[in-house]
Amino acid sequence: MIALESVSKRYGPKTIIHDVSFDVGQGEIVGFLGPNGAGKTTTMRMIAGYTTATSGRVTVAGLDMATQNEAAARKIGYVPEHPPLYDVLDVSMYLRFVAKVKGVRPREIAADLERVVGACRLEAVFRSEIYKLSKGYRQRLGLAQALLGKPEVLLLDEPTAGLDPGQIQETREVIRAFGEKHTVLLSTHILPEVTLICQRVAIIDQGRLLAIDSPSGLQAASEQTNSVILEATAPVDSLRQELLSIEGVNAVRVQPMPGRSSTHSADCQVDARDGIEARIARAVASRWELHRLERQQPTLENVFLRYVGAGTRARER
Amino acid sequence: MRGLLAIYQKELISYFRSPIAYFVVSVFLLGTGYFFLYNVFLTGIGTMNDTLQNMGVLLLIVVPVITMRLFSGEYTGRTIELLMTLPLKPSQIVLGKYLGATTILLLMTLATCIDLIPLYLYGTPETKTILSGYIGFVLLGMASLAIGQFFSALTQNQIVAALITVPVLLVFWFIGHLQSFQSSYALRGLLGYLSFALQFGDFIRGLVRSEAVGFYLIVTAIALTLNTSYLQWRR
Repeated sequence: MIALESVSKRYGPKTIIHDVSFDVGQGEIVGFLGPNGAGKTTTMRMIAGYTTATSGRVTVAGLDMATQNEAAARKIGYVPEHPPLYDVLDVSMYLRFVAKVKGVRPREIAADLERVVGACRLEAVFRSEIYKLSKGYRQRLGLAQALLGKPEVLLLDEPTAGLDPGQIQETREVIRAFGEKHTVLLSTHILPEVTLICQRVAIIDQGRLLAIDSPSGLQAASEQTNSVILEATAPVDSLRQELLSIEGVNAVRVQPMPGRSSTHSADCQVDARDGIEARIARAVASRWELHRLERQQPTLENVFLRYVGAGTRARER
Repeated sequence: MRGLLAIYQKELISYFRSPIAYFVVSVFLLGTGYFFLYNVFLTGIGTMNDTLQNMGVLLLIVVPVITMRLFSGEYTGRTIELLMTLPLKPSQIVLGKYLGATTILLLMTLATCIDLIPLYLYGTPETKTILSGYIGFVLLGMASLAIGQFFSALTQNQIVAALITVPVLLVFWFIGHLQSFQSSYALRGLLGYLSFALQFGDFIRGLVRSEAVGFYLIVTAIALTLNTSYLQWRR
C-alpha cells in the first residue's frame, strides 16, 4: 500500500533523508522508530504528500505522491505530529469541514462523524470550542479527523504523545482495530508501543534506514552480540583472564560489586553459540564461587540503541 | 468544487467566530460614516464621490487586517499541513480563502449603502455615478485582497504579512503621482495604468471602462496565481 523507492530529501545543501526504501503492505501495522531529528516526520510528510521527495518515488495505493497526490489523499488519513486544529471552530464544525473536503456525501456526514467521535471518545466535547480542549482531547481529535472518510492508509506521527496511560491504551485499540483491515504506519520513540501493536519495525537514524524487520526478528538478529552477566568471588585479573580464555567470549568487563570487596561482576560479550553460558559457568565455578549467571535477553531498547549507536559510530569514523 | 466550498465556509465561520471581522467592519463603517458626514453635510454637496474616494483610502488599512491571517495563521497553527494533505488542489485553497475575504468586503460595502438613505432623502444624486463608484470600489478591494492574501502566504508572521501589504498597496495607490516627473509618454501611460487611484477615479466620476475593469481583474488574477504557485512550490 505504501512504497518508498530510494527516496531522498534535500533542503538546500542539507540532505535530510538518504536513499530510503521500504514498503508497507495491506493490513499491516509498521512502526517507524528513531530518535528525535532522525527524519521520521519528514518521511511521514513525504508519504502524506505535504512535501515531495527530491529524488526517488513515493507511492500510496499505487498512486505517485509527486503527481497524483490529490487522488492519493482520498485514501490517506494523516495525523501530523502537532494536531492540525482550528482553535476558533468547535469540534463538530471542524470534523464536518474535514469530512466535506474528503468528499464524504452530505447524507453520510452525520454517521461518519458519529463513528469517529465514538472511536476516539470525543462525545463529551462534541460541541466544545477547540481552544478549550485538553492536550489529550486535541490529540484524539487529530486522530478522529484522519479516520473520517474511511481511508485505506493511516499515517500517524507520534499519535500517543501527551496522552495519559488510559488514553494511550484507547488510542492503541483504535489503531489496532483499524490495522486489522487497513494499513498503518506510525512513528514513535516509545518502544513498548512498537512491540505491542506493530508487526514490523523500521529503524531510522540521521535520515538513513538502518533496519526493517519484525520486533522479534530484530531481537533475534541482535542476539549475536549478546552479553552474559555473572557475579563471582574471584580476583579481578585472573577472573578476566579465565573468561577471555573461553572460546566464544569476545570481551569482558569486570567491575567490583559495591559493598562486597572480593566479589566482582563481569559482563561478557559472547557469540550466539549454544551452551556458552554453561561453558562459562563450568569454568568459573571450578575455580571460584559463582553467585549468579544470566544471559541478558535483548530488549527492543537494546536493539534500537545498538542500531542507532552503530550508525553514528560508522559515520564518525 | 466541494472542497473549495468547504474552505469558503470554514473561512466565513472563522471570520465570524473571531473578533477580527467585527472589528474591521466596525472601523471601516465608522471611518466611512465620518467621511460621509464631513463630505456631504459640511459641504452640502449631495454626491458619494468624495466618500468613495475616502473609502478607497480606508482599504489600505482594512485590507491588510483582513488578509494577514489567511495563510500566516495556517502556518502558525500548523493547519497548513492538514490543508495540503487533504484532497485539495492549492488553487482550491487559494480561491476558497479569497472568496471568503471577498465576502467580507462585499458585506462591508453593502453596509455603507445606509449612507445612501439620507443622500436620496435630502438630495438628488446620480444613481449611475454611485453605481459605477461602487463597482470600482469592489474591484479595487478585490485586487487589494488578492495582493494581501499573497503576502500572507509568504510569511509565518501575521504582523509581517500586514506590514508588507500596506506599503505595497500604498505604492499601487500613489504610483500615479510619479507621472508628473516623467517625460516619456509610454512611461507616463504605464504609471497611470498601474495606479489604483487613477483607475478608481474614473469609476467615481461615473466611467466604467473595460480597460479599468480588466486592470483590477488582471492584478487579482496575477496575485492569486502567484499565491497558488507559491503553495505548490512549498511542497
